[in-house]
Amino acid sequence: MITKDKISEILKAGVSTGADFAEIFIESTVDNSMRAMSGEIESATTYESFGAGIRLIQGIDEVYGYTNDVSFESLKQLATDLAASFSGKPGLVLPLGDERPYTVQIKRRMGDVPNEERAAILKKISKRISEYSPKIVQGVMQLLEGEQTVMIANNKGVYQTDFRPYIRASFIAVAKDETGMQDAYSGPGARAGFEFLSTLNLEELADDVAETAIRILGADRIKPQIMTVVINNGFGGVIFHEACGHPLEASSVSKGLSPFANKIGEVVASEVVTAYDDGTLEGAWGGMNSDDEGNAPRKNLLIENGILKGYLVDYRNGKRMNTEPNGSSRRQSYRYSPTSRMNSTYIAAGESKFEELISNTEYGLFAKQLGGGSVNPATGEFNFAVMEGYMIRDGKIAEPVKGAMLIGHGAEVLMNIDMVADNLLLAQGMCGASSGSIPVDVGQPAIRVLNMTVGGGGQ
Amino acid sequence: MYEKWIKLGLAKGLEDLEIYATRSRELSLSIYEGKVEEYSKSSLHEVSLRGIYNGKFTSISAENLSDENIDKLLNRLIENAKSMTVEEPAIIYEGSKEYPDLVEPLFDFEAVPFEDKVNYVLKLEEELKNCDEVVQVESTNYGETFVETNLVNSKGLNLSRTKSYAYGYGFAVFQRDGDIKTSYKVKAELDFNDFDPVKQAEETIKDGTSKLGGLEIPSGSYPVVFSNEKFASLLSAFSSVFSGQAAHRKMSALIDKEGEKIALDNITITDDPLYEGAKFRYGFDDQGVACRTKNIIENGVFKGFVHDLKTAAIFGVEPTGNSFNGRVSMTNFFLKPGDKTFDELIAPIKDGLYITELQGLHAGVQPISGSFNLQASGFKIINGKVDHPVKMIVVSGNFFEILNSIEGLGNDLHLSELSGYGSPSVYVGKLAIGGK
Repeated sequence: MITKDKISEILKAGVSTGADFAEIFIESTVDNSMRAMSGEIESATTYESFGAGIRLIQGIDEVYGYTNDVSFESLKQLATDLAASFSGKPGLVLPLGDERPYTVQIKRRMGDVPNEERAAILKKISKRISEYSPKIVQGVMQLLEGEQTVMIANNKGVYQTDFRPYIRASFIAVAKDETGMQDAYSGPGARAGFEFLSTLNLEELADDVAETAIRILGADRIKPQIMTVVINNGFGGVIFHEACGHPLEASSVSKGLSPFANKIGEVVASEVVTAYDDGTLEGAWGGMNSDDEGNAPRKNLLIENGILKGYLVDYRNGKRMNTEPNGSSRRQSYRYSPTSRMNSTYIAAGESKFEELISNTEYGLFAKQLGGGSVNPATGEFNFAVMEGYMIRDGKIAEPVKGAMLIGHGAEVLMNIDMVADNLLLAQGMCGASSGSIPVDVGQPAIRVLNMTVGGGGQ
Repeated sequence: MYEKWIKLGLAKGLEDLEIYATRSRELSLSIYEGKVEEYSKSSLHEVSLRGIYNGKFTSISAENLSDENIDKLLNRLIENAKSMTVEEPAIIYEGSKEYPDLVEPLFDFEAVPFEDKVNYVLKLEEELKNCDEVVQVESTNYGETFVETNLVNSKGLNLSRTKSYAYGYGFAVFQRDGDIKTSYKVKAELDFNDFDPVKQAEETIKDGTSKLGGLEIPSGSYPVVFSNEKFASLLSAFSSVFSGQAAHRKMSALIDKEGEKIALDNITITDDPLYEGAKFRYGFDDQGVACRTKNIIENGVFKGFVHDLKTAAIFGVEPTGNSFNGRVSMTNFFLKPGDKTFDELIAPIKDGLYITELQGLHAGVQPISGSFNLQASGFKIINGKVDHPVKMIVVSGNFFEILNSIEGLGNDLHLSELSGYGSPSVYVGKLAIGGK
């Protein structure tokens, strides 16, 4: 690693021509992936991400450069090249301070775990999935483990490192019968070491994914219609992530594009909705000890009893909005300039019981397992996929239905949430946006939404 | 340095070793309200180490290219290979007998003055803002990439290629009577002088304004025509069903269907790395296999999967030159056009839909089952003519069923410039639509 003195010298080159902000981000990441199919280890690969990014800002104009040559000479040259974009008096570089101390709870780092040990687990579990039923034609378990080490320093005196261990286990089952093929997937993860696996009931996860594939295979397609939808807890939170989370990012808000721009203090959701974005959760997949601008993560209140309370703000968009950043600036790697992103975003627990959401619904859809989705923050139009659903008839969960797509406008759907259960649960996903693909948690208790447009292939 | 690493790897006991290396330089800039707000440049040297140890093939991608780190990674490669138990062909390729003779233009975008690049996006933004219904141009962007690839291995293969291109687009927000829509049209060019910001702005404005004022439609079953661009997106989303990798993993519904009729007689889908009308052409894939043109579906008959070295050996066929970015994927992959003009294609439709936008392609598509449920929008077709715009709906169907229900193919083949996926406009028959 480069010494603080050398870093200051690079930052000085960065502000030499009028930039008021200079930042350097150095990263070293190793990701290991092992995959077993039906009891055999089919692949074991390693990916390395190693490089540095330099960002200069004057006002709100930004230049960013990155390279995987992290020698002092190369980085100083990069800072000098980037500085040529600006003209003005040299800016100040404050002495780099001490970093905020942090602890990383990790019991078994990936390098300390022999490959035989993880291979044995993957073989056993993938075999279990594939042998669950004659209808299962493929069982896969994949383990992704990564360790990201970052250093962030800027001319305001910030110097901060973070160490982020990641682990995610994925389970895939493929079922087949005379009517066709169907897959099912689940993927729990955490910011932790290999010990995370021992917190999971692997056999149960294996059986669940196989059972789900078989159940969906036999299900009918849902007929498109407008209906009441009970969205399950956990990954169901993808609805809030798409419909509201992205449009609350300063990257959308600062140019006034978002339907939620300039609406702090206004009612934007039904009064049963309170929502947070929290980067401080210990060991959470979406959390961290420092954001990618060196700020401490925070628990940010977004909506309280339906009233808009806050946005997710990074340094540069914060300048445009005249708002302080709040620990929400993230990037996939040194190849990306950071911007406002989500961490662990969730609707807070309400007071209803899950059973009440179902029993109070005469006719509707219970969206049990959700897939991904997307949103256009400027229009608020969003979509997300239902992988496993059930009809609700006379207040009871009835027959299963296959893949549906739910669509709506973020601003409208938040007003149509009329019940929130008390069973808050987070689930793990990858979120893609301008600063790359990053680990995030989505989450919610089960919620009930009125008048949703449900698409599906049924007649 | 690659030769040195190969020697080192072989000395460590690897049976064969291959280095796939890229050196790339990128530049991008983004303007907002008449001035450059974001500018980015990069220079990268990345390497994949691919080795065979104890008959097992595995790979590592590296960005820290110090000799010390490469030494460590080669040890890691061996450890990874040791953990593999699957009995599969492990191949590092000595090279094809001959390669297509491709002479590709290599324009030097870096020699174009920075100012000219800025002026292109400024002009694009200015033209977009000339439209009264454009309330904001969120950003207008230009980017260029130069990448040099080298493939060297212990079997004596030594191949290289260079690629250079640039792209630009303006992301515009349109508004009319409270209705908000967005549009952008990405143009990729192999020569800077081919950028035409005026025309590009016209296309963006035409698309954006045409979406405004969309009406709801009731849920139901409608005859559906996909625009050429959007049917190409569907082909892209389902292309993995034709991959030998998916077949080998038992994750394709087309397993054991080679030689069988899986589509109507008039359906031919081709993967053509050499296609003259494509922006990018490919002489060899990332494993050094010569690329060649092949029909995937020919007059409705499934001709076979596309392969990399491993899956070809498993299926007992020749590799097809389709290994890209570490997986089996397509080059220029398109549905062959028919002979109907667009007007003729939609003429028989009394009450239907013309779909020009699809969203949620990563979440709403299930390649294994063939089913898709996608957020969409477009236009109502009434009495054989395109009528008013239609608001956000969900279009649902099944890819394999569509291959057997297509009612008509347009003559307007269009290949996506960046992805290489292509299609004419396609009248697919009736699909389920979720609306009001």
